[in-house]
Parts: sequence; structure tokens; C-alpha cells
Amino acid sequence: MTVARAVRTMRVRWYVTLPVGIVLAGVLVPLGYLFVRAFEADLQTLSDLVVRWQTLRLLGNTVGLAVGVLAGTTVLAFPLAWLTTRTNLPGRGVLTLMGVLPLAVPGYVMAYVLLATTGQYGTLAQTIGVVLPRLSGYDGALIALSLGTYPYLFLNLRTALLGVDPALEESARTLGYSRWQVFWNVVLPQLRPGYLAGSLLVGLHVLGDFGVVSLMRFKTFSYALYLQYAASYDRIYAACLALMLLALTGVVLFLEASLLRGLLLHRTGSGTARRAVPLELGAWRWAGYAFAGGLALASVGLPMGTVGYWMSDTVATGLPWGSLASSLWASVSASAPAAGLAALLATPIAYLGVRYHSGATQTIERIAYLGYATPPLAFALALIVFTLGAVPAVYQTLGLLVAAYALHFMAEAIGPIRSALYQAPPNLEEAARSLGRSRLGAFASATFPLMRRGLLVSVAFVFLSAMKELPLTLLLAPVGFGTLALNTWSYAEEAMFGEAAPYALTIMFFSACFVGLLLMREQAATAREKEVG
Amino acid sequence: MLRFLCLSLVLVLVVSMVGCGGEKDELVIYSGRSKALVDSLVSMYQEKADVSVKVKYGSDAQLLAALQEESDQSPADVFWANTTGALGNAVNNDLLAQLPDSVTSRPARFVPSNQRWTPVTTRFRVLAYNSEAVNSEDLPESVADLPYHDDLEGRIGWTPSYSSFQDFVTAMRVTAGMDSTEKWLREMTELSPKSYTSNTPMIRALAAGEIDAALTNHYYVLRLKHGGAEGEYEGHEDEEEHEEEEKAAPASAPVDTYRFQNGDLGNLALVTGAGVLQTSNQSAEAQRFLQFLLSEQAQSYAANRVNEYPMVSGTEVPDYMVPVDRALTLSPEFELERLQEMDPTLDLLREIGAL
Repeated sequence: MTVARAVRTMRVRWYVTLPVGIVLAGVLVPLGYLFVRAFEADLQTLSDLVVRWQTLRLLGNTVGLAVGVLAGTTVLAFPLAWLTTRTNLPGRGVLTLMGVLPLAVPGYVMAYVLLATTGQYGTLAQTIGVVLPRLSGYDGALIALSLGTYPYLFLNLRTALLGVDPALEESARTLGYSRWQVFWNVVLPQLRPGYLAGSLLVGLHVLGDFGVVSLMRFKTFSYALYLQYAASYDRIYAACLALMLLALTGVVLFLEASLLRGLLLHRTGSGTARRAVPLELGAWRWAGYAFAGGLALASVGLPMGTVGYWMSDTVATGLPWGSLASSLWASVSASAPAAGLAALLATPIAYLGVRYHSGATQTIERIAYLGYATPPLAFALALIVFTLGAVPAVYQTLGLLVAAYALHFMAEAIGPIRSALYQAPPNLEEAARSLGRSRLGAFASATFPLMRRGLLVSVAFVFLSAMKELPLTLLLAPVGFGTLALNTWSYAEEAMFGEAAPYALTIMFFSACFVGLLLMREQAATAREKEVG
Repeated sequence: MLRFLCLSLVLVLVVSMVGCGGEKDELVIYSGRSKALVDSLVSMYQEKADVSVKVKYGSDAQLLAALQEESDQSPADVFWANTTGALGNAVNNDLLAQLPDSVTSRPARFVPSNQRWTPVTTRFRVLAYNSEAVNSEDLPESVADLPYHDDLEGRIGWTPSYSSFQDFVTAMRVTAGMDSTEKWLREMTELSPKSYTSNTPMIRALAAGEIDAALTNHYYVLRLKHGGAEGEYEGHEDEEEHEEEEKAAPASAPVDTYRFQNGDLGNLALVTGAGVLQTSNQSAEAQRFLQFLLSEQAQSYAANRVNEYPMVSGTEVPDYMVPVDRALTLSPEFELERLQEMDPTLDLLREIGAL
């Protein structure tokens, strides 16, 4: 597992080298661009901009919010993941779907919905007479972001829980551990990669979020940064802020890496793992339903219901079917290929990181995450400069947009694949090799089937994110390309919520169908596994 | 799964090939005006002039940044901006070509002497307020005295990062000087105003009772109260809209418009506008589009649907809007070309911690 070995492997294997090269370029080009822009200013101006109280305040706010949202999402995601994987609660499939759907709700829609719900003129006050203070600031951002991002953690934990080999737990039980001790000493440590991958996404999402924090008026780095690009004309200060944000991300990535060191979780025995025996909940079932139902109501029911209510006026005057259909096609034609491409790029990166664990492979993986944290507007501007300089023919084509989505959101795809790989034993692949398969063939026949669940989650993550994406689409899409998200934002920005609603609902419904389809495939795959096992 | 991935890759390649075919004769517009407000106008032009028009929507600043990074390879023909400051910035960066008199003779006022862009519509700065919580008679005659209105402390909203507010500060800087502007801003911050990123969430906050007064543009209040730019343009008021308005009314606080005394900076007129880019390879076609924006049809659309003031004389505005002449007397005399220098304004806003 030395660096030399990793480098040699990379040279011979194009199917590894190529994606790694693409990913590195996708991150380093924007980074280079930011440095060039930032250092257009003289040092004095730079230090005046960077060294001031405002920076420290932004730092405190950003870190505080990230920590809060991490705690919030953990509280929401952990019980839900456990309920849907380890118990016999009827309707687990629906609850799982509900646990993914918040990803289909754009952050700013969630924020607008929460703002419309609370306050003395809010929906709650109008309908049931409950006057909650109108959400804003830290609390508002915390609630909106926790409700919107817990699925990242939920799905990663779920994948991890499903992958835990029950034989280990059973051994621990026979050795006299109580259920609780087993959970604490055997199950929890196995969840660490999944938890870290999920919380990393949540953390990075919070660092990069603009939609929610701006509407809740809570000043974080990305808020300050977006203002520079969207409302002022100052690319230099913007570049400084972007670099500071990236540095902060670097620290987070380093922390996560040091927590992941030396993990080995796959089965070493022969045969395949069974599914764990589900826990009989009994009367506790109702507590489970209350929790999962309340969560689904707040994170999916509330936004869908409110948006549906906004739409009621528009329905009367007729829905813009033509525009809806063309926007849906635009969104899907960019998001679906991007999801596939991101999963393809992420697989070798995750594989290298897990199987050839070394400084070099870790660095590559971390760099891929850095791409997720690069502010999308900076990323888009860098791609404009790069494509016009290198390959002007692809500028403002769908291909460029797809590539941009895939590079930007690839980090979301790495985590689930990585978790799945940690639990796939390498000796299966070695056995396939010894039976005469090529490296690629052995991977495809032995490891790939075990990764399927992780891959599905990866594709779902990237697809849902790309469906909601705004800044990259604004700057890089072909001229005249109107996605659902662009239309939603455009109308919401002018306070025309009735007109925005059909587009927002289409995003949510279509994403729900897509995720439902993926989950059905997953269940079919599990059923097959059961038959074989 | 593997098949799905490969299939999607093939799809990428095929679709991007299709996407590549950029037609030569289509007009490309970079619009800082939002799609929600101008999409039907663009469709109208497409039908009328029988040309293919493609629009890239974004914020003024985003599009300016993109135009600068694209430099001479930009596919854009027209830059259609939401704010005067953005147009000034485009002139400073030498992005816009000089317009012929056939375009610049149309507007009744506000044409810059360099003729690099043409004004398209006018909007006015106003103070929006909650008429239940604030008595308009207590409000100051000049925006300069607003900071001394102590009982608004914590109840007033502003948008320091939004371009029309920045244009207003620049105008104050140019007319009253750097020091008094800084003083005004500092005194305003003592009222602990709530900062919003744009006017829409601020007006929603006003309607929700979160704040009781807001420094904004006139049409945000009108759109809140009269529906504004909804649906396709049909040239007349929809009756249904009025019903909706009555239904929706109790769900919000009563919002009204306050105007300062005649000639006060708080009533400043600002314009949206458009120019032809130097990189355009079909400037005649681009100029034709600008002429359309200044046509009776387009100007009347702006007045009726977007509630902005027309730029050519003779276009009627809806009854609920203050007549054009009256609105113009409210605004101070001010050369809009002087709004080009944004940097000192940004520095000032940063210095007081508003940005």
C-alpha cells in the first residue's frame, strides 16, 4: 500500500487515471482562477479586506451554524435510519422515501415556506391560531437546513446499517453483551464511515448554502460571498472570500480524514452476510410512527402543502403546461447524465481511497471534496475562462453543464460508494483474479454487485442536487435553457409564488418518482440477494 | 446499473452534440431583468419581428462578471440591465457600443450623453411602511432625517447589498458628499436596521409584520397590493385578480407607500436600461430589439404588468400609480451617468459593516 504502488497502479490503469485526472483538473482549474483573481489586488488591499472583524464574525457564524445543523441532522437521521432498517415497523418503504424527499425541496423554497408558516400573519396563525415568532437568524437557518439536509445523513447511515454483518452482533450477544452494549460496541463503530460521509456532506452543504441563510438573514461566509458576486461588482474580494471558505473546508476535510484512519469493516469469513433479524417494536411502534410521521410532515408535507396552496390560484387561471414540460425536459436532460457521470467518476476515486489507502489516494479523495466546496459561482466563472481559452466549441453547451454538475456534485457520490466498499471484502476480487479475470473484470463481477446499493444512493444524491442547482445553470447552460429550478427561482424572486409553485412542485414530484424508482430497484436487489442467500 | 451508467453517458454525448449547434442568426440577450417579468415581452418580440431570440437570465452583477470573463468571445448581442449602476459599470469596462440616434431619440429623458445605453423604464425609491403601526404624518420630510426617527429602531429594513440601494447611496455620495453620506449611514445603523438580500423578502417581511418600514423601490409595494406581473399580457386588467387580492388581503399587514418632500433624494428616480455589446456581430438586429423595448406596446406592458414608469411620453400608467409627471417632480434633478463609480460606495458600506 505504498505511494509507489499507488502511482504505478494509476499509470497502468487508464480507467483509474482518467477519472482521477478529470477530477483533479475540475478542482485545480477553479482554484487557480481564484488565486489569479485574488492576487490582482495589491497586498495592502488584500490584507485590509481579509483582516477585519467582519471576517471573524463570519467565521464564528459559519462554524456555529455547521455544528448546530450537524447536531440537528444527527438527532433526526439516526432514529429514522434505525427504524427503517432494524425494526419490523410496517411501511418502512414509505418512511424511507419520506426520508429522502427533503432533498427534492430547494433550500430557498424551504426557507420561504417556513417564513410563510410562522409569524403573526403566517399560515399557522391563520389556520389554527398559533402565533410562533417569524423565523429568522440562527434559529431559522438551523431549522431550515436541518430539515433540508438530514437525508444525506439518513441515507448514508441506512446504507451502513444494512451493510453491517449480523454475524458480528450475534457473536457479541453469545459472548454475553446486552443489546445496548452490542449496539454501542459493535454496531456504532461500523457506522462511522457512513456517519462521517453523511455529516461531511451536511457540513459542506451548510458551508456552501446561500439560499437559506440569505432569506433567514444569517451572515455566513457563503452569504457574504454570494453578495459579492450577485449584488456587487467586486470579483477580487469575492475571490478572497472564496479562498477563505475553501481553507475552512480544508480543515473540515482534514478532521474527517483523521477520524477515518485505519478502518477495516468488511467480512473476512466465507459466504455472504445475511440481513439482520428485525427488532419487534411492539407498543413502541406508535412512538416510531409519531417520530417518523412528524418528521415527514415538517420536512416534506409542510413544503409540499404550502407550495400546493400557493398554486391554487394559478390552477384557476390555467397551468403553463408547455413551459412546464420543456423545463422538466431541460432539468432531466442535464441532471440524469450528470448523476451517471458523477457516479462513474466517483467509483475509482472511492475505490482507490479504500483499497489503496495511502497519503496520495487520501489526498485525491479530499481534493474531490474540495470541488464540492468551491463556490459554484466561482467555479462557473473559472469554467468560462477555461473553456473559452482551451475548447471554445463546448462553451454554453449542454455537455459543459453536465460536466460541471458532475464535477461539482461528485463529492456527494463518493460517500455512499465508499461506505459500500468498506464492507465489500477484497478477497472476493482476489479470488476472481486468481480464476483468470482481468482487474476490471474481477471488479465488475465480484465487487460491483456489492456496491450496487451505494451506487444507487450516489446517483440519487447527485440527481436531486442537480435538479435544484442554480448558479452553475445560470452561467454555464446553453443560452435560453430554462430548467425547473431557474423558473422557480425567477418567479419566487419577484414574489410571484403562485407562478413559481408549479415549477417547484414538478421538481418535488419528479424527484419523488425518481427516488421511488431507485428504492424499488434496491428492494428488488435485496429480494434477489435473499433468494441466493 | 452499469448499463444505466453507460447509457446516460451516451445520452450526454448525443445531447451535447445537439446543443452545440449555435445558430448564427439568433439574437442573444443577457438579461439582468428577471424571466418572470420580461419573458412574455420577449415572446411578443419574437412573434412580431419573426426572429429567434435566446435569453440568458441572471443578476446584473453575475452577467457582468460573465461578460468580462468571456471578453471578446462573448456570444451576447444585448445587455439588458436592471440597474443604472450596472450599465455604468458596463460602460466603464468598455463593453457597450455607441447607439444611433434612431434609438436614443425615443426616450423622453435620462439618455446618457455617451449614448452607450438607453433607459427603458423608470422606478422610484420610496419608503414602504405598515400603515397600522406607523403614522405617515410622523415620518420625516427628507430621507436625510430618517435616522433621527428613533421609534423605528429595530423596525426598519434596508437592502445594503442590493443594487438600487447602492445606486441611492452613490447618488447621496455624489450630491451630499462622502462625509455626510458616511454620517447618514452610521446614524442609520444605530437604528439597527434589518438587512435583506433583496427587496422581495424585505417586502414579505413588512407584510408579515416583522418590520414596519422599508427603504425600497415603488413597484414592490404596488405588486404586493395589485398583483402586478401575473400571467400573459392581454392588454387589460384581469377581473379575477381583484378577487384574489381581496381574498389574500387579511393574510398580511397593511402596507403603504410614503414619499418624502418634492426633490428629496429619498424619492430618487432610477432607470433600467439596455445596450448593444461591442462583441455583437448583428448590431442592427440588436438595435431593433432596443427600439421594440421603447415601443408603445412594450412600454405599456412595463407600466401595466411590472408597474414601472414608461420612458416614452404618452404611455398611460394604471390608476393606482402616481402619475409620471408628479413622480418626476418628487425626484431630485440628478444626472444618472454619475452613478458609474460604485467602488467608493461599496467601500463605505463595508466600512460601516453593512456589507
